[in-house]
Amino acid sequence: MGGYGDVQMIDENGLRLDGRGPGDLREISIETGVVPVADGSCRMTWGTNEAIVAVYGPMEAHPRKIQRQDRAVLDVSYNMAPFSTTDRMRPGFNRRSREISKVTKDALESVVLLELYPRSKIRISIEIISAEAGTRCVGLTAASVALADAGIPMTDMVVSVASGKINDVVVCDLNKEEDNYGEADLPMGILPNSGELVFLQMDGDLSQEEFELAWKLNMDAATLIHQKMVASLKGGDSQ
Amino acid sequence: MTIPIVPNLLRAHLKELAENDCRIDGRQRWEGRALDVEAGVLPRAEGSARVRMGDTIVFAGVKFQVMKPYPDRPNQGGLMCSAEVRSVAGRHWEAGPPSPEAIELGRVVDRGIRESGCIDVDSLCIIPGEKAWQVILDLYAISDDGNLFDAFALAGIVALRSAVVPAERFEIGEDYPLGVSKTPIMCSYQKVGARFIYDACGREELGGDERIHITLGDDDNVHSLQKGLKGIFTTDEFKEIMDHARDRTKELREVVESLL
Repeated sequence: MGGYGDVQMIDENGLRLDGRGPGDLREISIETGVVPVADGSCRMTWGTNEAIVAVYGPMEAHPRKIQRQDRAVLDVSYNMAPFSTTDRMRPGFNRRSREISKVTKDALESVVLLELYPRSKIRISIEIISAEAGTRCVGLTAASVALADAGIPMTDMVVSVASGKINDVVVCDLNKEEDNYGEADLPMGILPNSGELVFLQMDGDLSQEEFELAWKLNMDAATLIHQKMVASLKGGDSQ
Repeated sequence: MTIPIVPNLLRAHLKELAENDCRIDGRQRWEGRALDVEAGVLPRAEGSARVRMGDTIVFAGVKFQVMKPYPDRPNQGGLMCSAEVRSVAGRHWEAGPPSPEAIELGRVVDRGIRESGCIDVDSLCIIPGEKAWQVILDLYAISDDGNLFDAFALAGIVALRSAVVPAERFEIGEDYPLGVSKTPIMCSYQKVGARFIYDACGREELGGDERIHITLGDDDNVHSLQKGLKGIFTTDEFKEIMDHARDRTKELREVVESLL
């Protein structure tokens, strides 16, 4: 969080710079089967974020030391393309992308029925082609659609969305300016059918009341996003 | 990149098809796959393109940085071209530092663009000896079903030709289009079952032998050549390929011109 609380981002009508109300999401579109050589794939645009996720497997896990005798392992990589940001991103892993890869893997391992595929590996490659704000949420949500597209059994899909605080107002789904100058960010990974959580992070400053409101905004948004995910998998219009 | 095991059955099948003048996906020997090229597809890049050739899909993005000119060329900017094939693009591409295959891809495309002289490096100078633009072309594969070379080269030149120098953001005057005066085009051939074919698909690459890449400029001048993988070829075979490349690069150049 940049913490520049003096940048005015909510107008007198309570609307945000891009015209959204506090609980509104940016535009979302979801498309499956976009990587023809993969077993499952998904392209998700969310505002001007764009993620492409490919799933390969289950396949042989090598080197053998990564194999687990009783279950499959997920090999998750989150990566930002060099041209995805305003200043060019140097290629290769950095500490941020490694952490996001890890928490995404932890979230997805909580829902994939890993014990069905002992000693195998399922590879999930998340590529951020264009970044605005909230790329980890886009990546995790798109990954669960790609897993479903690959026919990997899961207890539920994961819907990931973040809420935060700008100018002391709790709002859902921060855009780039709001993320840069906002005061808090609360990304969550929600199982839409049960309301349970598999992913949670937060940074910034929220009172107990603000925190509860942000939590509720995320839960409400998850229901809407889930409908789009299901529609895309059924081949319907996800716009 | 992990080299997949090549089934002998696939090699035998490809050989038999070649003897009957057929290809595994039903194409003619010199026929390319369905081509789709789009410019300006990446919102954060200063120039961009997406190319789809059959099931091969790539992006190219152009970014700019301000660099200090090299001491021996104080009046010139620079061009950097890098190719990445990450694990998203196919099951045999692994995570980790760039593989020799990905490095070869980037370097061959780089040579074709650089040596054609399509970018006037003198025009990239801002303050001689102190500041110049560095043009960075990033090639990024999304789906690898063979012939990433041609897809990268085509996406690369379209992205460069659509690029705008972001001078305003760097507070160095107004934005202006990057001057790209020529359109170098690459054509790649692979020997499959004892004969060269154009635009190999993934299975032809897997069961094929050596490949040859040719980049030709607007006036048919040769700007880069590369022979890759194990295999032996004759002068006559090369002449046959070159004859095809002269015609095909003209067709592809027209596709590029129609977009911009």
